[in-house]
Amino acid sequence: MTLTKVRPERAAAPRPAGRGGGRFRRGEWVGYAFLSPALLLFLAFVAGPFAVAIVLAFFSWDMLTPAEFNGVGNFTEMFSDPLLYEALANTFVFALASVLTHLGGGLLLAMGVNRMMRRALSYFVRTTLFFPFVISWAAVALLWKYVLDPTFGLVTHYAGEIGVEPPEWFTDPAWALPAIIAIDFWHTIGFTFVIMLAGLQTVPRELHEAARVDGARPHQVFWRVTLPMMSPTIFFAAVVTFIGAFQIFDPVQIITPDGGPENSTITIVMYLYQKGFQSFQIGYAAAVSILVFVIMMAVTLLQFWGSRKWVHQQ
Amino acid sequence: MTVRIRSRRRVRPAPLLLELLLVAVGLVMIAPLVWLVVQSLTAEEAAFELPPTWIPKPFTTDNFAAVPDAIPFGRMALNSLQVAVIATVGSLLVSVLAAYAFSRLTFRGRDGIFLVLLSALMIPAQMTVIPVFVLMRNLGLIDSLPALWLPALINVFSIFFFRQYFNTIPRELDEAARIDGAGHLWILFRIIVPLSGPALAAMAILTFQAVWNNYLGPLIFLSTPENMTLPVGLVTLQASHGGSPVVVFAAITAVVVPVLALFLVFQRSFVASIAQAGLRG
Repeated sequence: MTLTKVRPERAAAPRPAGRGGGRFRRGEWVGYAFLSPALLLFLAFVAGPFAVAIVLAFFSWDMLTPAEFNGVGNFTEMFSDPLLYEALANTFVFALASVLTHLGGGLLLAMGVNRMMRRALSYFVRTTLFFPFVISWAAVALLWKYVLDPTFGLVTHYAGEIGVEPPEWFTDPAWALPAIIAIDFWHTIGFTFVIMLAGLQTVPRELHEAARVDGARPHQVFWRVTLPMMSPTIFFAAVVTFIGAFQIFDPVQIITPDGGPENSTITIVMYLYQKGFQSFQIGYAAAVSILVFVIMMAVTLLQFWGSRKWVHQQ
Repeated sequence: MTVRIRSRRRVRPAPLLLELLLVAVGLVMIAPLVWLVVQSLTAEEAAFELPPTWIPKPFTTDNFAAVPDAIPFGRMALNSLQVAVIATVGSLLVSVLAAYAFSRLTFRGRDGIFLVLLSALMIPAQMTVIPVFVLMRNLGLIDSLPALWLPALINVFSIFFFRQYFNTIPRELDEAARIDGAGHLWILFRIIVPLSGPALAAMAILTFQAVWNNYLGPLIFLSTPENMTLPVGLVTLQASHGGSPVVVFAAITAVVVPVLALFLVFQRSFVASIAQAGLRG
């Protein structure tokens, strides 16, 4: 990953002779000056709040009465709340389904579009796939609430046309979360698709040709050439999709503000929002936020560790 | 007639059936959006009929006229615009200055600071939102627009993105200017920034879109309708105006269509920047 690679050249290495020490010191001052707006903002809105969140997690505070030290009280209370586990389970189901459908769907669509010859048609498909991603979740969630409406919704009608009776998505505990997974697919697939398409175009065509000349069948070309060459892209898409999906909040809160039938759609971030901004248990919510951070960190590290086994190194 | 060689093609062309299938997928993808616009232009008594109508009949713009009666739509649109413009311009400025320092200047602790910034990309927004809320409350900024754009001014990803881009610009260019006595600000804004058009456009679009579409921020920081931005405005309209979905649809259309138009205009840089982010990973 280039993310963690800091270019070693020009680091703190002393400059070659000819540049005076005074000039070097002036350069240092300029460096901090250029950095200062970013650093001040970073301290105020990222690093500082991060540290404060960790401290707050050990207090109980409702923002009205003074904060009280609570030790690990928030954490013990949190881990004995059955709703937390429901929220975590929903979040993992959502994130897993989201990663699988996005990677599979995105790769298939990208491979299909990559083979399209008619430029106008290919432009149409690429644009329409990406359109929903540009729209805010608020608009998407409201629109889909109507699209899936049991009495006048589009899906209900066209499903009826082909003889399928769709469930009452948002009142049926078995179908509320799948419905949100489907809406998320519609909204976000364009993003994965574009990344996959860009990845496909970096696969050297000579490899495909060589494989075909050697008599490989299409499915063999896919499993032996395309997929290994695509593995860095797929890995990136998996990490980004998981991180995004694990923090899902907007559609869930808008479509099912009370957490859905029988808490079937409550996610971990929604749980955090309810605790922090509806019942004003600030310290408790901070403890939940630490849990989110730790889980995200752990899963991402796990993905990086696992990626060594299957990501093709170029 | 010249023969055009398509060197970009990797594999055999798609058979017609596959092309038709993909076009069908594209049609399904935009069907809800077309339906949205059609219903918003249909008179209330005829809207949402089954089977779905794909032509607004009878055609009317009354639904749009009803939106400002339900929510202060114009006010909210101005708020959204103000927050998005300030956040975009401000964060680009902050990021460009920092990226220049990381790419061109030498000072103690530079690489260490860079690593600390990068590792902060792992911090989820939910973790900082509570302390930021407390900070805003102490600053008396709750229910005001700065509570939305101030935190958006720091964008670690865009600092990283610009640093990578600046590193590809030949150093000889600015070193020559330096010998001629140019200062760092002059070099940055007269040499580096003009050469970074695509990167600036990409980050501007991504930032604007993210701030414009932000839902959690206004939900937490704002309370009065006059100070609200559009995403939360839409949701309150739906909640308070549940009886008339066509008005809700008109409001959604009024929010969505300009964004889609903007996307069509800037599609190339927008899609390219996302593809680039993927390839960099």
